[in-house]
Order: sequence, then C-alpha cells, then structure tokens
Amino acid sequence: MSVAWAVFKKEMRVYFVSPLAYVFLGVFLFLAGLFFYLGVVQTGEASLRVMLGNLSVTLLFLLPLLTMRHFAEEQRAGTFEFLMTAPVPLGSLLAGKWAASFALCLILLAGTGIFPLVLAYYGDPDWGVILTSYLGLALACSGFVAAGLFTSSLTDEPVAAGLGGVLVLLPFWISGTAADMVPVPAVQEVLRHLSFLTHVEPFSRGVVDSADVAWFVLFTFAFLFLTWRSIESRRWR
Amino acid sequence: MISAQGITKRFGDFTAVDSVTFEVGRGEILGFIGPNGAGKTTTMRVLTGFLPATEGRAVVAGHDVFEENMQVRRKVGYLPERPPLYTELSIGAYLGFVAEVRGIARADRTRRIGEVMEQVGLTGWEHRILGSLSKGYRQRVGLAQAVIHDPEVLILDEPTSGLDPGQVAGIRQFVRGLAEDRTVILSTHILPEVERLCERVVVIAGGKVAADEKVEDLKNRVGKGVRFRVELRAGADDQPRVPQLVGALGVVDQVTPLDATDGFAVLDVRAPSDPRTDIARLATERSWTIRAMERHAPSLEEAFLAVVGQET
Repeated sequence: MSVAWAVFKKEMRVYFVSPLAYVFLGVFLFLAGLFFYLGVVQTGEASLRVMLGNLSVTLLFLLPLLTMRHFAEEQRAGTFEFLMTAPVPLGSLLAGKWAASFALCLILLAGTGIFPLVLAYYGDPDWGVILTSYLGLALACSGFVAAGLFTSSLTDEPVAAGLGGVLVLLPFWISGTAADMVPVPAVQEVLRHLSFLTHVEPFSRGVVDSADVAWFVLFTFAFLFLTWRSIESRRWR
Repeated sequence: MISAQGITKRFGDFTAVDSVTFEVGRGEILGFIGPNGAGKTTTMRVLTGFLPATEGRAVVAGHDVFEENMQVRRKVGYLPERPPLYTELSIGAYLGFVAEVRGIARADRTRRIGEVMEQVGLTGWEHRILGSLSKGYRQRVGLAQAVIHDPEVLILDEPTSGLDPGQVAGIRQFVRGLAEDRTVILSTHILPEVERLCERVVVIAGGKVAADEKVEDLKNRVGKGVRFRVELRAGADDQPRVPQLVGALGVVDQVTPLDATDGFAVLDVRAPSDPRTDIARLATERSWTIRAMERHAPSLEEAFLAVVGQET
C-alpha cells in the first residue's frame, strides 16, 4: 500500500514538473469552454448536457496521451528495471500509476467546474444532474486511463502507446453508431452495450444505474488485468 | 551469499548464458569480466530476478531469486548498465522515491539520503534535475540508489563506464568501503579496475564461464609459468647462438628472441622457476654482457585475452 502511494506521488510529481499536466489542462479547458459556449448557445438551456457529452469523446482521444508514458517511458529510460528489481509489487505499481492518472483526470474535470457556476449565475441549473454527469465522466476517465495503461505496457515507444490507446478505445465509441447499421436485433443490442456512450448517457440525464457503474468498473478492471498480464509476459520473453 | 547454479538463459534460439555456475561469499568483491555480448548483463539480470532463467537456479542472500523474488529484491542493491533515472525529477526527489519504495521509514529518509549523497559525492546537488546531469553524475546517482537501503548484496553492472579517472578512483574507494561486510559483484570490462578491487574473477565468454579463480592464479596460469625479459650481448661469433644456449639451460622452458638493439639480444624467457642465476652463470662463463634481466609480471589483460581466446 505504501509502495502504491510512493508510486502515486512520483507520478504526480512527474506530471507537474514537466509541462505535460499544464498543457493538458490548457487544451482540455479550452475545448470544454468551446463546448460549453456552443451547447448553451444552441440549446438555450441552463444545462451542461452538450458540453459533458462532447467532453467524454474528447477524453477518449486525449487520455491515452496522458497515460502513454507510464510503462513505455519506464522501459526506455531503464527505470522499469529498477521497479522490477526493487520491492515494488506489480499490483502496487499498477494501482499507483492508475490512481495518478485518474487523479489528474479529476483535476481536469474540477477545472471545468467554473461552467456550472456560470450557469448558476445566469440560470437555474439542476445540480443533481450536473453531479451525476460528472460522476459519469469520472467513471469514463477511469476506464480510459486503464486502457491507456494497457497499451503503454505493450511497447517502449510512447507515441505508439498513445495512438494504440486511441485505437483500442475507438471501437467502444463507434460501436454505438455501428449498432444502427446492423439489421440483426441481437447484434444491435450487443453493439449498443459495448459503446461507452450508452453507459454515459443516463448519467447526463441524472440517472445513476448500478449496471452502468458496474460496466465502467468492469471495463477498468479488465484493462488493468490485461496490463498486469502484459507486464508479466514481458519478463518471460 | 550469491550462488548461481547452472543458469541458462535462452532468447528464442539464441543462448545468451549457458549453464553458468559460480559462488560469491560474504565480504567478497567478485569481478565479473568478459567481452561485450558475453552474457554479463543477462547474468546480472537473472541474479536480480529481472529475467527468469530458462534453466538453473540462483540463490541470493539466502533466497531463491525466482521463488522468493520479493525477499531477494529487498536485500539486493542493483545498478543496471544504464542508471535507472527519472529524467524529470531532481536528485533529491528521485532518491526520496527510491527510499520510500525501499521501505526506509519516513523519519530516517532525509538523514539516509544525505548520507548516501555524501558517500558518492553529491552533497549540495539535491535540486539538480537528473536529465541535466553528465554521465559521471548520473552514475553516482545510480550508485546512491543502489546502496540507499544498505543492502547485503550489491550487483553493479559497469559502475565506472564513462567516468573520468578521478571519478573512477572515487567510486573504487566507495565500493571497497562497502564490501567489508557485504557481497559485491562488479561487472566490467575495465581490467585494471578488477585488479585493484577484486580478489577473485569470473571470466565469461560466449555465455559460458571461462575461468573462475583468484586474479593472481589466473594471471600465473595463463602466463604459463614465469616470464623474464633478458638482454644479453656476446662476442660476434657467439651472438647468433645466444637464444639457443640459454634455451639449453635445464631451468628454461622456452626462449623467444624478441629483437636486437645495440648488439644486445632481447629474449623472452619462460621458466617454471626463476632462471636468472643460471643465465648469469652462463653469461659469466662465456663472457657475455648482461644489460637486463627482469621478471615480467603477467597482466590480467593477457590472461583475459588468452582465456577468452580459448573459448571463442
């Protein structure tokens, strides 16, 4: 546990001593502002529905860039050899790294907190819906970060890991759209459930369904498990 | 403290390390030498548990590196070939992370980090960013990282590569100080380093152990007895026969004429024991002039090349 905490602190430090975290914050808040403006102008509602929906897709493309360095860079710099010869259990390593990236996601999301405040100043937003929307986004972040960790463990080339992360996540976005094109109802159903949008959408309506929460938790653990296996197998080659 | 028992490591069809067996005891500094690509680094990686051996078994600090990997990790300090540094972090932050991972109590951390930084000559550098350091300083941080938890066993993979002579001397001093009650494996291809630090060497070539013995024994064995350099001048008619006559002495095994300068024949004489008095007697009988007769200490380099040459 204390090792996971040490890894977490180290990762956070690496994020914030390099320009990475700040660039991310900048890009993300710029896009969030854009979506907020467009959403409010288009719908005239005092709601974050449009912004939050768009942000979830933005995160799908951005987060793999945040996680791409995790294992790829450790391999490159030779620090992976340190981690694997120091008393660092693999579980602690994964937990620390996942938690650090997830914490940075929460910071990104907290940065968009200004927009609900703007809404509250001019209108009367539904705070419950806003809170559940953020919960949905946070859950999506958790899954995307895990998938990004997985692709980072596959290569020692960070850029390949980043693009690979997007590639791995894309089917979970596209499948919702693809579902409408398949005439077979059973396949349609499966494809729809594969899409993370299907599971994020209820949150933006203020509905917290335990099935949706479970979907994201499962998604996260599935990719963390794959990462675990990928690192273990790396040592056997 | 370290026992490698028939370690074999294959990568696909390629056998990097082939049934390597050796032991290192407490308080010993073992030199692990061999040409590039001989399997040094792979062996180190097996001993630290970073790579599992294909066959064979390694016991380090009383634990099987495969079965009880975590215990081994706790007791071993390891400096890989490339110091494992997070280039974004400062020296202080990096060593803080290592100390925490190594389980050093919070209360002791600052003191311990200060100690090792002093030992490797980094005092006052805690705010320097690792990525901006020169090779020598990176190596020092790598060493500090390896010893911060006061490990029983130290595995150092080319700790002095890329350092200037002053730095090398400093690190040598440091390693010697560490070795008193610990076990150190020092992999290197800088032979003078080994001669100064290690009593025993394991020579590895082509993935196999080519020699495992005391440095002195290795040098003498490979030197095929003792060698002497003898310079003699005889009269004009005797001169061409000098090598032959010296070779005819009972105590001499072999004579190789090296060159002739100023009328002196320069000979390389090999003998099982010191032949100088016999040569001197011969020279007196025949009225030769002796300019030099010196014992030629076999160098580790010669021994190394001979051993490695045999195996490849």
